[in-house]
Amino acid sequence: MLLKLASARKVLFVGGKGGVGKTSVASALALERARNGGRVLLVSTDPAHNLGHIWEMALSNTAARVYTAPSGYVDAVEIDPHSTIERHFSAVSATMMKLLPERLHRSAQAHLELAKTAPGSHESAVLERIAELIDQGLDDYDLVVFDTAPSGHTLHLLSLPEKLTGWTESLLASRSRSDRFAAAARGIVGGEEDPEAAADSELRRTLIARRDRFALMKKTITEGATTGFVVVTVAEKMPVAESLDIVAQLHSLGVDVASLVVNRRSPADAGAFLAERRKREDVCLQELREQLPTVPMTELPLLVRDMAGEDALEELAALITAT
Amino acid sequence: MEPLPTGRRRETFFRRWSAFRDGLNEFYVGPYRQMFKREQQGEEDLFMIAVLGEALGVPDPAAYYTAELMPALWEDFHAWHRRIGIPRSPLDQIKCC
Repeated sequence: MLLKLASARKVLFVGGKGGVGKTSVASALALERARNGGRVLLVSTDPAHNLGHIWEMALSNTAARVYTAPSGYVDAVEIDPHSTIERHFSAVSATMMKLLPERLHRSAQAHLELAKTAPGSHESAVLERIAELIDQGLDDYDLVVFDTAPSGHTLHLLSLPEKLTGWTESLLASRSRSDRFAAAARGIVGGEEDPEAAADSELRRTLIARRDRFALMKKTITEGATTGFVVVTVAEKMPVAESLDIVAQLHSLGVDVASLVVNRRSPADAGAFLAERRKREDVCLQELREQLPTVPMTELPLLVRDMAGEDALEELAALITAT
Repeated sequence: MEPLPTGRRRETFFRRWSAFRDGLNEFYVGPYRQMFKREQQGEEDLFMIAVLGEALGVPDPAAYYTAELMPALWEDFHAWHRRIGIPRSPLDQIKCC
């Protein structure tokens, strides 16, 4: 079920409440797809990265091979917003130095330092890196799996491309109005050259490039044939309630909810305690099924061992294929 | 006084006439040009505030992106703060005057 999904889509986001096993499910899914001959890029967007712990390797902002199968592989990335911020601002700074006279260089640098630490810069950088990795993934890989941060953070990130498209649109519209007024004023005096035209076209070019990038990202995220969201949960009251929330919000963002994964189901045959738990879990799942009758659901059992290392992931991956 | 030769007289007449015509044109059209200029400036002020938000103390969640626009706006900044009636640069980190 899940494996079929992983073969059909190009981009999968794995998300859910904190601590339900998003990273394990995302990793096992990536591993299974690689064993099926896929080239997989596995990306962690959570600021508190766990991906490196589960694969027992130190990971960074650039892709590193974590798993090799006979005909496929998994490359993993832990997004580091700081290095993206640095890269972005040094590019801006280079442009500024090129355009500005020497005496303004110091103050321009100081201004950029301030923008670097602005509250939104961190998540903008994560978003930028996600966009880059989606681009790269669509070209060089068969599947990109995003192991996302707990739901609120991720839903906000996914809503950003649309909001920011609106933002660039309104700035561009302001530039157009300003241009029209300038042209009207010029037309009256008769075709006098505008000295600001060069700077203005630079503004416009930057804004248009931005808008196109956001629009492309929004399109990729909301294209059901390309992108799907896998909601991971455990069969308990609070995670189930939060999962229902996530699904509702994803629908309003236009993101396709491709699958539900219920992780760590208690066994019915391992003592009275766990059997009783399982009964209670069944009640929670019943509600989830009723609320989301059309979303396919996969159940994964509670495993004895800790989810770390390739062996553990292979065990989980085998269960994903089996169900 | 000697009458001017015909050619010179015609030239002078044309010069005065076109000066008069230009003046008339300015008299009628000038106010509209002012209006368009003012509208344009209003629009540019708005843009400047949107881009400089963070530096002006309005939290700007898009600072990461507005920074990209700074190179093209930096030189206008001085003219802008003068125009909105602040004689010295209002920002510590932009020392244009």
